[in-house]
Amino acid sequence: MAKILIVDDSRTSRKMLRSILESNGHEILDEAVNGQDGVQKFQALRPDVITLDITMPIVDGVEALKMIKALDGDAKVVMVTAAGQKNKMIDCIKAGANEFLTKPFDQQEILDVIAKMV
Amino acid sequence: MFDQIFGNYLVASGTITKEQFMDVLESEGKIRVKLGLIAVAEKLMTEEQADEVNKLQSIMDRRFGDIAVEKGYLSDDQVTQLLKKQGNIYMVFVQTLIDKGYMTLEEIDAALNKYQEDQGFTHSDMDALVSGDVDRTVQLFLPANTQLCDKHCGIAIRTFIRIIDSSAYVSKAYLVDELKVEKFAMQELQGDHKILSGFAADGNDLLELANKFAGEEFETVDLDALDAVGEFTNCINGLFASEMSGENVDLDMLPPVFYENPVSITGNQFCVFPIHVGGKEIKFILSIDADIDVK
Repeated sequence: MAKILIVDDSRTSRKMLRSILESNGHEILDEAVNGQDGVQKFQALRPDVITLDITMPIVDGVEALKMIKALDGDAKVVMVTAAGQKNKMIDCIKAGANEFLTKPFDQQEILDVIAKMV
Repeated sequence: MFDQIFGNYLVASGTITKEQFMDVLESEGKIRVKLGLIAVAEKLMTEEQADEVNKLQSIMDRRFGDIAVEKGYLSDDQVTQLLKKQGNIYMVFVQTLIDKGYMTLEEIDAALNKYQEDQGFTHSDMDALVSGDVDRTVQLFLPANTQLCDKHCGIAIRTFIRIIDSSAYVSKAYLVDELKVEKFAMQELQGDHKILSGFAADGNDLLELANKFAGEEFETVDLDALDAVGEFTNCINGLFASEMSGENVDLDMLPPVFYENPVSITGNQFCVFPIHVGGKEIKFILSIDADIDVK
């Protein structure tokens, strides 16, 4: 079971992810509402896995991923995307993203991806 | 969708009562079964395969049968046979109206001809409506036949029907320079095109969308409910951007924006597409390659 940090500006998505992960035995260490907040909480909490939305205000997911990987190259980061963000996904792969999840969420896909990370 | 459109026309014209219409819809729902369920019942697919195809539909904007064929679960011939078994929803609607004694076939024909005349539709348009083809139905209800507008609205309506409510239907879209709305969630796309799309409604009507998408029971359209509407908009825009990327058109999505208090949307002939769901009207708003302002 993993200790997870959820980074997403959408309350709806954070709540959906939290509900699926907690009901399957994972621990949510905290939530962050933008990339800047996410990087700070990553530093403080050092989670096993971070789920990181790509489209966020202030600091987006791609930039936050780069910052997190600069702090810890081994950090396990799952990028959360809507369909159609192909170019952003390529940027994420180049920046070291470990996995991707697509919205709207599919419970089994989330659990499979997290299982691969831990 | 045409069962809803024509049924509401019959109610508005006083041909049948609202109660009779609801009674017909209830019976129709019992008769018509989803394609995946028929495929499982016919032992052509497993439940797991049908679930997988249903899930893929929410991120692929394609029909159940098309995905099932692509995955190798069904052949084209099997899909054709399943569609025949499922039956045309409008024909089920007509049959139910007759079976319940609310209208005769002659009365239905006369009402259909009057509807066609009122709407200015051609015979070919009526064939498209009756066939249940959502893409062509959406095109018939759009004011400007621009390719991008058709494509985006088509994805929006199909996704709405698939994820939010299969009984949703549309009325004629229109172009305006200004629209006042009480609640609005929207998202901008930048890149090869400048696009704004979102959903607006008055009072608590957006709850029909927010509650179903988020699986919650918001009581009022507050920022949390608007966040759910924004996430749904994000899914639609993602599907649109995905389809456009296949044509080498690059679009980047910005974070959704919400307006909890009444706003005035001003622009240049942006599209307003009314979607009717649960007795409420939700407006899908789309502006392509034009400046738009929300205050």
